[in-house]
Order: sequence, then C-alpha cells, then structure tokens
Amino acid sequence: MDTTRGISSEWIKRAAKATGWEGELTRRGFLKLSACALTSLAFLDLGEAYGENAPLVILDNAQGVILADPTRCVACGRCELACTEYNDGRAQPSLARIKIARAVNFGPSGPTGGEAMHGDWGDGLVIQGVCRQCPHPVPCATACPQNAIVADPQTGARVVDAAQCLGCRLCQQACPWGMIAFDEKAGVAAKCTLCKGKPKCVEACPAAALRYVPWRDLTRDGSPTRPTLSVVPPETAKACLDCHVTAGAKATK
Amino acid sequence: MAVGSGGFVGKVLRVDLSTGKITTEDTHERYAGLLGGAGIGYRVLWDEVPAGTGPFDAANKLVFATGPLVGTSVPCNGRATVTTLFPTCWPKPLVGSGHMGGHFAAKLKYAGYDALIVEGQADKPVWLMIRDARVEIRDARHLWGSGIRRATLEISQELGPDCVVAAIGQAGENLAPMGMVINSVSHSAGGVGGIMGGKNLKAVAVQGSGAVRIAGDKAAWEALVKFHLSILGANNQHVVPSFPTPQAEYYNPASRWVGQPGKRWGAAKPPLELPGNIHDPNSIAFRTNSAVYFLGDEAWKYTVRGNGCTACPIRCHTMLKMPSVTAKYGIPDMGQNTCVALMFGRTFFKQLANKKNNETAMEACMVGMHLADDLGLWSNYGQLQRDLRKLYEGGYLKARLGSKEYASIPWDKYDSADPAFLLDLLPRIANRQGELGEVLSRGTGAIFDHWSIPESEWAGDHATTYWKMGHPKHHANEDDGQCGVIINTQYNRDAQCHSHTNFVRNGLPLEVQKKLAAAIWGSPDALDAPGDYTPANVPKARRAKWSLLRKELHDALGVCNWMGPWAASPLRERGYTGDDSLESKFLSLATGQTMDREELDRVAERIFTLHRALTIRDMGRVDMRAAHDIVPPWVFEDPSGKAALTKGTIRMDPADIAKAMDYFYEVMGWDKATGAPSQARYAELGLAEVGEALAAAKLTPEAAK
Ligand code: SF4
Ligand code: SF4
Repeated sequence: MDTTRGISSEWIKRAAKATGWEGELTRRGFLKLSACALTSLAFLDLGEAYGENAPLVILDNAQGVILADPTRCVACGRCELACTEYNDGRAQPSLARIKIARAVNFGPSGPTGGEAMHGDWGDGLVIQGVCRQCPHPVPCATACPQNAIVADPQTGARVVDAAQCLGCRLCQQACPWGMIAFDEKAGVAAKCTLCKGKPKCVEACPAAALRYVPWRDLTRDGSPTRPTLSVVPPETAKACLDCHVTAGAKATK
Repeated sequence: MAVGSGGFVGKVLRVDLSTGKITTEDTHERYAGLLGGAGIGYRVLWDEVPAGTGPFDAANKLVFATGPLVGTSVPCNGRATVTTLFPTCWPKPLVGSGHMGGHFAAKLKYAGYDALIVEGQADKPVWLMIRDARVEIRDARHLWGSGIRRATLEISQELGPDCVVAAIGQAGENLAPMGMVINSVSHSAGGVGGIMGGKNLKAVAVQGSGAVRIAGDKAAWEALVKFHLSILGANNQHVVPSFPTPQAEYYNPASRWVGQPGKRWGAAKPPLELPGNIHDPNSIAFRTNSAVYFLGDEAWKYTVRGNGCTACPIRCHTMLKMPSVTAKYGIPDMGQNTCVALMFGRTFFKQLANKKNNETAMEACMVGMHLADDLGLWSNYGQLQRDLRKLYEGGYLKARLGSKEYASIPWDKYDSADPAFLLDLLPRIANRQGELGEVLSRGTGAIFDHWSIPESEWAGDHATTYWKMGHPKHHANEDDGQCGVIINTQYNRDAQCHSHTNFVRNGLPLEVQKKLAAAIWGSPDALDAPGDYTPANVPKARRAKWSLLRKELHDALGVCNWMGPWAASPLRERGYTGDDSLESKFLSLATGQTMDREELDRVAERIFTLHRALTIRDMGRVDMRAAHDIVPPWVFEDPSGKAALTKGTIRMDPADIAKAMDYFYEVMGWDKATGAPSQARYAELGLAEVGEALAAAKLTPEAAK
C-alpha cells in the first residue's frame, strides 16, 4: 500500500479530485502523488485511511450542504431551535450550528453598517449563516491542533470529535464564516454535522428557506463574513509537504 | 415543580432604580404555583405594591415576565407579559398587563431570567443592560428625547447586534398613559411605556447566550412539536383557507388563512410565488398575510415577507415596502405590524377607516405604523382613533378646544383624508402638546374628566365600541354573544382574550364546531354562530371560563393567546379536532414533571383569581358585579331596531346577560350577588393568605355582609 505518512495516496487523490482543484494542481505540478495507487484502497473506510497519528490535512468533500435563501427567511429562528433542541435537548441559539439570531436585527454588517444594514431594522433581508462544509484545505479542521475536526463517515460533514476537542477555540477563529459554535457547558466546539443527512433545520423551516442539496463549493460565493485568524499548527503545516512542493524546489528537480 | 430542571431558567431579576441595587431571586421558591407571565406580575403587585399606589409613583412596579415555554421551539411562544398598575384604567388605575411578542421574551430566558422586576425610580435617564449574568444600569441621557428607532440603534451599537432592545419613545418619556414600549421594530406592550418613563427607564436591552433545557425525552419533544405544527392553522388559528381549493373540504372568505398558492410576496427580491401545497409544514409561514387580510389583496404587491416573534411559524407581522411614502411623507418605505397596529393610521380617517385596496389608506397605515412605533404611542385597541373621530365629528372639539389651538391643527388635511395629517397629530399626542395632545395622551377616561363629557355618551354609541373603564370591547358580542360579553366584563382594560374568538371564527362550518364543542365543553350549545344567538346557558358560561383560564395560562406559559388555544385543526382526517391538552403536554415534557390538563387549568384559575383579588383590593369594594363587571348600553341596542337574540343582530338582552353572569359566577365558584370569590374559594385555589387578607379588609362577600 502506498501511503504518505499513513494516508493512502489513492485517497488523497480522490479527495483532491473532489475539491475540483485536482486538474489545476496536477497541471502546475504541485501535487506529488504516487502513480502506483492501489485500486483496493478505494474500499477502505476513512477511519483506516487516516492512519495512526498522522495530522489530518485533507478531507474528502461532503456529500451535501445546506443552502439558505435569504429572501424566503422570515426570521423565526425555528432552525436554530430545532438544531439545539433535537440534537442537544436544550433550546439555545448561541449553540446552534445555523446562525439566525446574529442576522435578525441588522444583518452581517451589524448596527454600525449604515446603508448596508439588512435585517428587521434594515431592508428586511435575513442572511442566514450556514456552514459551507469547506473543501480542502478546510479552515476549521486545518487550524485544529488536535485534528479533532474530521469528516463524518456518512455525509462527509466536517464534525467536531468532542472526545478530541480541547476547547481552545482556534477553529472558531479560523472559520471565515463564523460558523463554529461553542458549547460552554461541555467546553467543546460544535459545528454543523448535517444531522446524518437529514438536517433538522431544513425540516423545521416554515418558509422552505433552507434546502439540503448535493455539495458544491459555496466558499467561492461572496466574501467571508469575518476576518479570520488562521494559526496552522506546525505539524499540520509540515503535512502540506506530503503533497505539495514549492515552485522553487520543483525548478531545481 | 422543580425549577431549573427544564423550561424555567430558575431566576427572577430584580432591579431597584432608586438605589441601583440589582438582585436575583429563585423563581421556584418565590413564585411556585404561578408559572410565569401575569402570574408573577400579580403576585408582585399583591405582595409589594399596596392599595392606593399610583401608576407613576416610584412604589409602583413593572414586571416583565416570560414563561416556562418561552425560548423553546414550541410554536408561538415568544410572549412577555408586562404587569403593572395600568395607567389608562379609569377612573382609577388598577392592575393590568400589556403583552409583547418579538424577541424580548426569549432573550430574557437565554440570559437566564424567567422574569424582570423593575422598581423605584432613577434620578436621571438610564437604560438597563442585561448580558447574561452581567446586569448594569447605564446612562441614557444621550438617548432621552429620541425615538425608538434611534434609541434601539445606539443601544445595539453599544451592546451588540444580537441584543433585543425594548424601548420607549417620546410618549413614554412624557409619562403619557398612552405610551407603549416596543421591541423588535413593531412588537408593543400598550399602556406601560409611561410607567417606564416615570422610572426614567428609556430601555431594557438584553443579550443572552444560555439555554432553556428540555428535561423530557428529546425524541418525544420533537414529536410533540411536529404534532403541534400539524394542527396549526393560520393567524388566530383559523383552520380553513379563505379561498376554495381542492386541498381543503371547506373554505371561508372571512378566514385569515389568505396565502393562496400563486399569490406573491411582490416586494421580495425577486418576488416569491407562494407554493402549491397549503398543508406542507415547510410553508406554514405563507398562510398568513395580515396586510392582505386587513388592507386587501392589493397589499400582496407591497409584501416583502412575513415577520413575527421568536419561534412562531405563523408570522403575523407582515413586512411591507411602499416606496411612494418616502417622497410623499418623508418616512422610510418599510413598515411592519399586525392587526390594529397595522391599521393604526388608516382608522383615524372616516373615509379610510374600513377601506381596502386603497392606496391612500395603505399609505396612511404606513405613516401611522412609522410614527406610532417610533414615538411609542399606543392606540388602546383603536380607541384613540375612534375617540378623535367622535370628538371631531361630534363637534366636541370645536366647542371645547381654544380657538387658537383649534386653528393650529390642519383640519383641512383631516377632512380630505390626507395621511400627512398624522405627521402633525401623532407627535402632538406623544409630546402631550396643547390641550388636545394632553387629553388624548391620557386615554379615553381623560376625555370624560377633562371636558366633563359623561361616559354614557361613549358607552351608548355603537360606533365607539367603548366598553368600560376607559377601554373598548375586544372580541365581545360581535363575535361570541354571551361568552364574549362575559369575557369583556372581567378585566381592567380591554380584554386581551382570544381563546373564544379563535374558536368561533376558525372558519369551520357551525355543525363541525358544535361537534367539537360537545367534546370539549360538554354540549353543542356552548356556542352559536356570530350574530345568531340563542339564550344564555351553562355550557356557554363554561366556555367563557375556559377561554379566560386559557388566556391566563398562555400568558403564564409565554405562548400566544392571539394564536391559541388549539382546540380545532385543519385536519379532515382528525374530524378537525385540535388538542385541548397540548399546553400540559408541552409543560410536562419541558419541566420533566407531569402535570395534566386539569391541574394546569387550576393554576390558570389561581392566576385569574389573583387578578380578581387585586382588583377587589385596589377598588376597595367587593360588589364586582355592580361596580366592575359592567356591560355598556350599546350592547343592548340595535341601530336598526332588531330584537335581541334574533338572527342578524349582535344585540343582547339585559335579562339574558344577567342570567349569563349568574351562570358564569356559578362555574367560577364565586358569589352570585357580588361576583366575588369567598374566602373559602381563595383557599381552594391555594390563595389562602389572599382570602384572609381580603376577609380582614371586609372584602369577601361573607365578611362584607
Ligand atoms: S465551520 Fe467554517 S471553516 Fe469549518 S467547514 Fe464550516 S464554514 Fe468551513
Ligand atoms: S427556520 Fe427558515 S425562516 Fe426561520 S429563521 Fe431559519 S431559515 Fe429563516
């Protein structure tokens, strides 16, 4: 089995392909994948493919993503409540993995947004916050020093493995869309899990403003809602070298 | 019931503005057995505000109370009840509550408080900042004098975008009894704005990051919420659509379920066609459009979307965008509200009051909403508008206002139904400017007092819809015969009860309603069709009691009595039954302690009876039947002379209403002669000490003898 630090090259290749960047990466020769991949690896489940102790750098894409249409949103917050009540047994918008409360009054620009204010006090538009289930490099997962953000085997959703999470909040700082919630009671980060492929929020919306659709890269739509602090742990950064080489190094080859 | 286990968040916040002292108390220890809402409010007034206190005295208290279901995903739960000595109650202020939806109640729960008690009086303008456990009294001098929009924006800048601000405008600052407090753009509690102003409290702003725990089984909770959604109708629980469709057996043009497939939210970008399946739980928000229901079909094209309270799928606050008003009246092109507040502007004008599909009428509504919700001026359920019309049309103003002031008012605009008239009138009232502004800012009672006009001139006139004590009817005999009349005798302001009307006006044919009625109130004779009344009977009295108790229960749980109860449903396969024990099922799961319907109704009766006790104490008399439970004379007349209790009239018969009151006092277990509870009745309801105190003051029927 050809592996790079415990991760199968076939799997890496598949993941890279799914990001939609594979063509570009190969063309530019940045990706140093082994040519002799073993076909049987395609059947490996992800748990095995991770290998022992290898920093988790690359995640296969999610199968689905939640699409939110602001023009339908009626600002009821039922999605936030379904998320936390049905998953956690408590009603707590601050813990919700879909974000409405922060957008209801003034929208993403907040009360100092002037003309650009949305929400109930602005032009009425409620711009829901949803997790993009980002493609590689996944900002929240990459920032995690514990590799606690992993792909859910069923949906590929980037999920927090609560047993591994330290509660350091680096993922929260890293998400460009402000989509990591924090469970203060448990002291761990929480994020959208896609509810095993049947998102509770989608089911709860009384205005059909949310849809669960096949994944596409929403990170290229619009601009991030917040500046991010991306601290990449050195171990993880080193792992980039498993697949990428610098342009300079390539030239001397 | 163990508070803190679930539903309740366990603490009541108390802020003394005189001393700056901020404390908390345990919800359960102090308010057990009263749930929340007015239950807590009445308790505080009973225990802490002595008879004889005036509404604007520092000794009066203001209780913002949520309930154990607030903040959860129980449909229609976002309510806060604001209880105080109600300033528009005439001739003497008595206990009363304003109710507000929006997002205030849920935020208070997330911050960790079941209720907030404000007492004392600050020595300079302040606002109250609540951020979870951090509570501060902050300077509001820079906000004093500004409207609610500006105040909300600046406080949000200071506290953060996700806070909810409940603020007063100029009306409240000026201690106008007609002042109101507003949160979330358009969600108001009438009458209490001036009480805040009297305390120098510009606003309460809340940010909360905590949780409301559901103690029971998660899956059972989810299933119950979904069941509730399945039996929801549209606004006011109207369960049949207003349009014919193969998807429903019945339709009723008077229904508030107006969201016909193919209609459009015309001002959405791009416009949104309403979906085809009217029963789909993912399209409940499209069923209701208050603007269309009240202003006509033309309002579809101005509709941006529905809006409303936390967790409510109904969305009765319709958001409108009408670009013409910016150029014409210099106001924002967006407006939102529901029901009477949506029509606030239109109803001042004779020519526009009931006009549908009329541009000018809609513009008047936009101007009215904008001003009322920024100045924080209440309409007293449209009485303000009817008062002005009667004063003007009846020649009272011409005769009584000084000629200089009279001439300063642009009556030409009023005569030509120009909405710009409101730009002059409403700030006058909010600022209590001149004699007209001053009198109208105090409510209907001030008209009688100030101009020595006998109350009977209002109470005898159908058109005023005036009921008693400075307040109008609110779903009385025009909806529900004797039941509506009984309910309208009980409060110290307009009755805020919808339990009865939401059933009789649900749109189902009378035969179906009677079948449901037989199952709930023991007889199909518990209701009649509106305007086709049969004589009073015990089942009607039983339904009146049920309606009142459900109203108090909803306030106490924090669910919306404008939407509930859910006694009927749109489901043909269920024979259109709803679920009369829904409230107890929710409460039991939320708290993890089982409480059945009967037990919960007893709690509601305890709360309602405490309201009665407070009214008796503060009026200082026990003969409620004669002195309080009054029916205005217009109820016993018909403009075209039709006989009472015949088809086509809402005219009631005095002897029959006397009988209806007998039956009602009987089902309440109250003394028939006085309409007051006995000391024993208080004790049966767990209010022994209340009964004792009233007996000692000779305010129980037996002690008064
Ligand atoms: S939480 Fe943020 S960074 Fe992580 S996958 Fe979602 S959107 Fe991307
Ligand atoms: S449930 Fe739907 S309408 Fe309600 S806040 Fe969420 S996205 Fe908006």
